[in-house]
Amino acid sequence: MTNSFALDWYFIALILFIGLYCMLVSRSLLRQLIGLEIMSKAGLLAVISSGALTSNLSLAQAVIITMIVIEVVVVAAGLALLAKNFRINKSVDIWNLKGLKG
Amino acid sequence: MTYHTLLFLLTTICAAGAVMAGDLLIGAIMLALVSIGTSLILFDFMAPLAAVFELSVCAGLITVLFVGAVSLVRQSEDADARGRVKFLVLPLAAAGAAIILWFTLPGFFETLITGGTVSTAGQDPIGITLWTARRPDLLGQIAMLAAGVFVIKSIFPRRNK
Repeated sequence: MTNSFALDWYFIALILFIGLYCMLVSRSLLRQLIGLEIMSKAGLLAVISSGALTSNLSLAQAVIITMIVIEVVVVAAGLALLAKNFRINKSVDIWNLKGLKG
Repeated sequence: MTYHTLLFLLTTICAAGAVMAGDLLIGAIMLALVSIGTSLILFDFMAPLAAVFELSVCAGLITVLFVGAVSLVRQSEDADARGRVKFLVLPLAAAGAAIILWFTLPGFFETLITGGTVSTAGQDPIGITLWTARRPDLLGQIAMLAAGVFVIKSIFPRRNK
């Protein structure tokens, strides 16, 4: 693996795998959000790496800023759901989210 | 090993640490370290604006949100420590994935690199790009923030006496 970009993308794929693994094996909403955050970091690194590869860093930065804003909103909404779920069910299990219905 | 590769390696290790951490607070702090590593990588890619944004928002704001949530649910999570084996298996799974990826992905990435189109146009500053080419994104960001506020308001409605 001689090319630096190929090595970058190798690590990005590993980070994505770690986030995906966390989301797949965990039932805790908080750990799910941690996995989601890690996956979003991998996506962010993929965008900047592609931007650097195609000499389009300004566009990549603009897209990354949008990604970060969306990430914050998703995490805030997820944690609000977690707090509500914990207040009602005294649990952070994602399968108890059904109890919030209505 | 270059500084750039070292940063990627440290970020990957911190991500694995965030997933494997038994204590959620340590997991949240490791996640902040992942954000700091990502931010340093962005600086290394000559993307300072995105790096500062990442550092302030992801390593700062999101970590504070996570620590607040951890303080709320910590006791419940500690009681459910018996299912931690699947997180301790992560290094094994990651090592397996790393070996498989090492033998399969480089060829694919090489085709991506040779097939990519390099922009020949002059690089506009980020401000110009954001305000001209990506203006709908700004509207989308405002809409997302409004949607976030609406979601939180609807999850925690004001109680009438």
